[in-house]
Amino acid sequence: MEDIVGGWWDRLITRAAYRGHPQAAVSLASVTRLAPPFFRAMGGDPALVLRSTVGTEHGARRSWLERVAGIGDKVELAWSDHQALYLPEKLDLFPDAALNRALYFWLMALAAEPAPPGDWLTRNRLATQRCLERMPGLAASYRQLVEALLALRTDPARLPAAEAAVEQAIRQALQHPEQEVVMPEVKRPPQPVPLWLHPAPPTGGEGGGVAGDTPADQDSEHKEREAAQKRRRYRAQRIVPEDKKDGMLMVFRAESLFTWDEYVKVNRHNDEDDDEDNAAAAEDMNKLSVAADGKTRGSRLKFDLDLPAAEYDDTPLGPGLLLPEWDWKRQRLIEDHCRLLPMRPRDASPAPLPERLLPLARRLRRQFQALAPERTRKSGETSGPDIDLDRVIRFMAERQSGQAQGEPALYQAWPPGERNLACLLLADLSLSTESWVGEAGRVIDVIKDSLLLFAEALSASGDAFGLYGFSSLKRHEVRYLLLKDFAEAFDDAARGRILALRPGYYTRMGAAIRQSARILAQQPAQRRLLLIVSDGKPNDMDHYEGRYGIEDTRQAILEARRDGVTPFCVTIDREAGDYLPHLFGSRGYVVVQRAETLPQVLTALYAQLTR
Amino acid sequence: MNAPTVSAQLDVPFYQPVGSECELFEAAWRQQLPVLIKGPTGCGKTRFVAHMAARLGLPLITVSCHDDLTAADLVGRHLIGDGATYWSDGPLTRAVREGGICYLDEVVEARKDTTVVLHPLTDDRRILPIERTGEVLEASPNFMLVVSYNPGYQHVLKTLKPSTRQRFVAMSFDFPQPEVENAVVIRESGIDAARAAQLVTLAGQLRRLTGYDLDESVSTRLLVYAAKLMAAGMAPRIACRTALAEPLTDDADTLAALLAVIDTQFP
Repeated sequence: MEDIVGGWWDRLITRAAYRGHPQAAVSLASVTRLAPPFFRAMGGDPALVLRSTVGTEHGARRSWLERVAGIGDKVELAWSDHQALYLPEKLDLFPDAALNRALYFWLMALAAEPAPPGDWLTRNRLATQRCLERMPGLAASYRQLVEALLALRTDPARLPAAEAAVEQAIRQALQHPEQEVVMPEVKRPPQPVPLWLHPAPPTGGEGGGVAGDTPADQDSEHKEREAAQKRRRYRAQRIVPEDKKDGMLMVFRAESLFTWDEYVKVNRHNDEDDDEDNAAAAEDMNKLSVAADGKTRGSRLKFDLDLPAAEYDDTPLGPGLLLPEWDWKRQRLIEDHCRLLPMRPRDASPAPLPERLLPLARRLRRQFQALAPERTRKSGETSGPDIDLDRVIRFMAERQSGQAQGEPALYQAWPPGERNLACLLLADLSLSTESWVGEAGRVIDVIKDSLLLFAEALSASGDAFGLYGFSSLKRHEVRYLLLKDFAEAFDDAARGRILALRPGYYTRMGAAIRQSARILAQQPAQRRLLLIVSDGKPNDMDHYEGRYGIEDTRQAILEARRDGVTPFCVTIDREAGDYLPHLFGSRGYVVVQRAETLPQVLTALYAQLTR
Repeated sequence: MNAPTVSAQLDVPFYQPVGSECELFEAAWRQQLPVLIKGPTGCGKTRFVAHMAARLGLPLITVSCHDDLTAADLVGRHLIGDGATYWSDGPLTRAVREGGICYLDEVVEARKDTTVVLHPLTDDRRILPIERTGEVLEASPNFMLVVSYNPGYQHVLKTLKPSTRQRFVAMSFDFPQPEVENAVVIRESGIDAARAAQLVTLAGQLRRLTGYDLDESVSTRLLVYAAKLMAAGMAPRIACRTALAEPLTDDADTLAALLAVIDTQFP
């Protein structure tokens, strides 16, 4: 009973004390589509992503009711850092929805201004002034916002003298951003100003929270920073497996200002012995702390590299194929050395193209339609739908001058054009693609996007193409994921398979290249292109390391070339310059400097390669 | 080498120089060099060529290239008349014979085999062999070849063959600086300086979206259109929507974003 009454009381007092206007609330979701272009147009950094902010305790004076209800202690403010633009998840400050919406646009315009120097008040005042100067259209809505805001703020007359002075200064800066105002000294933080940017944004190494998520105990900038440091300390700790085997896994994260990456460094003993039990070897790397996205305080995910139970694993298609491997020490191919298992990704359900990729996909489709084989007019045919006037005239002129052929070819025909090209895209799905590449997310996400967009583009061009992914777990299990073969159409089922991809295991590239070259060689096309998307060197848990892996891969590439396939590698491995020229030749690869541009690079490259 | 002659002309189309492009063009013409002009759509390439042709007192023959343009369309063809056939010069041949500027607009749109007929005209021979009549035309000293194209990224698949490209002296055009663009907008439309400045600021904002949300950015031409609509009494917001937002995108979300940007200048 007490519970029920307590609940009523809580709801009642909360409703009575709450200062927002839920009926006029505007959610961030309603402007999500417009926000990025708007922010860019205002001059904001185009690389930023949009995130919703979490409440920050402001420490300012609250009403008695709010204190009783235990609300009103947090405020959602906007800010931007080098990673993202953070906007409140919903705005219900004003009783008028149009004003709340206008506030979103105002905050974006303000956040797009380069930050002027000075304290919180001066920064915002100067930025406001610049915005209003550059955008007369915003001035009108700004005036309305200020007017509505002042009506909501505590009257300075009802505040203690020191706080009143601050409030006066804020009001002055809001109403007349063009005039200088000095911020008086103050002990208590002033009431937050929702028209301005965050006074001390919690810039962590990782983006803001996810909607509806409030990080624990961050009631001030200091604590926030401390917490971030704590998180970082936590994240940088070394994880040593309990049972000391030969190997050891170190996880190290460098959280720089701009991006952070995960380096997974695996010390492996060089076992030339193939018959070792997989599970035992995998035991050496059974813990891997994976990036947390600010949702939790560095949650730890455990990876189990034992062989997954059959019901959790991708679906194998048939018993597998035996493929040779090149042993560079003996300088010969070892027949039937690798078992390649064609598979379908598990848990794949048909899915449309993710919405965020639609604009780019549309653009690529448009561009690639130009590649589609066009029917061109051919002159000099003995029959056809059109008469070639030029030839008729020439024929008549010649006949008049007394020299005519028997059967002039006077017609024009439109034989169907042909591009006659087949392309197989082979994507690296090894565990290293689990690592993060700054804002764009994980490498695997970029690879998935690339596969999706690439397929869209190629569908438009009309070229025959296939999509495959690979990873490996020693020589008995080269996993070869069939995403779309040449005979299938690129439909929602294929998209679903791409979306269901999960990274894991290692990179036995040679076998995957051999199989891809075989598939390509069966395609009835004049030109065959094998595009390999990778993020690092070939490697595996056994002796497929260093020189051995490189040489086998190189051999596979040479074989592919011999079979009339043109291999080309697109990598995001910065150190690729050390080994790729040896594999693909100096003109057979490209290193993508910024992983997030991989989809565009891939498609532009395809256009160039196939011109 | 015959030096080309200049005869002054009175009604020269308005062109606001941004740098020394006029002098460059004139020098190229004096030295009988072919010119390639690169730049985004609507940044003033065509206007510039028209302006220079008028300034140099040369006839201007413009060919808008398209993917069905054949060599015969440029060089000429036989026609039938009065029971006999006669040869009719194409635009290129006419310019070669009579002198003047032959301007091939958006030359990358033409079929690749078409541009090959330009090759003998672009080196020191300056000749045009006409297969069908057996003629080999020597270009008039007043003949000048100018081609233009838009190297924007939407032409990732359409570029000029390197062997063709490196036969020209090339100039790169871009949208003019705000103050120049201001002057152009005022001059072309007659609107007041304040609104022209807002329009140009708006263009700057919208051009930041090129390559992200928009394939092509707001051209000076579209700005002038918007200004002309305003001069005709349209409300600025509607003028901008009609001339700047709608022509650039069909995507509803992008359009809404563009309108929000327009609101920051013309509420």
